[in-house]
Amino acid sequence: MKKLIMITSVALTLTLIAGCTNKSVVRYGDATEVETTDISFGSTDLQKVAGDMTDSLLVSPVVGTLTANSRPIMFVESIKNKTSEHIDTESITDSISTKLLRSGKFRFVDMGRVAAARKQLDYQQSSGMVDPNKAMQFGKQVGAQYMLYGNLASIVKSNKDQSDVYYKFTLRLMDLESGLVEWADETEIRKTKGKEFVSW
Amino acid sequence: MKIMKLNTAITTKPSALLIAALTTTLLISGCKNIPPVTSGMGSDQIAPGQKFSKHLQVHNPELGEKLHISDIRSRTNNDLLEINLSLTSTYEKTLKLQYQFTWFDKDGFVIEAGKAPWKPLDLHGMQTETVPGLAPTNKVATFSLYVREVPEKFFKF
Repeated sequence: MKKLIMITSVALTLTLIAGCTNKSVVRYGDATEVETTDISFGSTDLQKVAGDMTDSLLVSPVVGTLTANSRPIMFVESIKNKTSEHIDTESITDSISTKLLRSGKFRFVDMGRVAAARKQLDYQQSSGMVDPNKAMQFGKQVGAQYMLYGNLASIVKSNKDQSDVYYKFTLRLMDLESGLVEWADETEIRKTKGKEFVSW
Repeated sequence: MKIMKLNTAITTKPSALLIAALTTTLLISGCKNIPPVTSGMGSDQIAPGQKFSKHLQVHNPELGEKLHISDIRSRTNNDLLEINLSLTSTYEKTLKLQYQFTWFDKDGFVIEAGKAPWKPLDLHGMQTETVPGLAPTNKVATFSLYVREVPEKFFKF
């Protein structure tokens, strides 16, 4: 009888433990969801930084004056990553420039595609394949009037119970002719990771 | 000898039953991953100048008791609709919230669908925080706001 009880208990316990094992499941998630997988720079931080900076730039009085009668032409210089992490800052500038472009207030030139554009113009002009009357001409491009640039810095602190990271993103708009910084703003993010009691 | 065996059976039976019952209960309750509560409170499409309280829909009464959303303040800034709403906590502990604006044009079509991110907001006990919203384009006529608590997953054994 005792043996039977022992065997039953062991079998049930094993079933219980087996029932609680982790299974890897693949699901589609919401790309706009707040993401807190770990403390490092994540999608929510990218969306917050891009959103805050675009909103701040679009409602600034300086931009109101600049965009009153025209759509100024801008180019985005790189964002310097001064944090200890590897962060794709081009992704931040892509989001900011896309939002600004879609607002209908600014136009952009893309310095990252100059070589590709030159190659295409070379082909149109000198390959003999394109009708000369319809080929795009060299020297007709429009120069940027303003430059967007910035920095992303972080302060990381941790002890045995808690980790804390503080990000500061600064963005500036420079008038390329005068060299004046016409607009600047910064946004901050604080993230902490600590142990919490979980009850069930 | 027979009496002894009978005695053992009688004394072990209740404990065996107890173990079996306990294990079965645990087994039935299982090791469950409970889906988080993601309902909250917010408005349907609302135009600037309309009363927010008239459009308020509370889908999560528990959050509705802890949070009050003020009326809208709006203005046009550089051609873009700018919104301010105050969220007031009526709860003594910190509320970990997230909010999302959705923008619509004059025909009620959503603008930049699926691109407005949920923004995190920590509201300390009894604190009031102003939530800003800026329309992504000058085509915006109405908007909606939804607030919910940060969904947390619980594992039940």
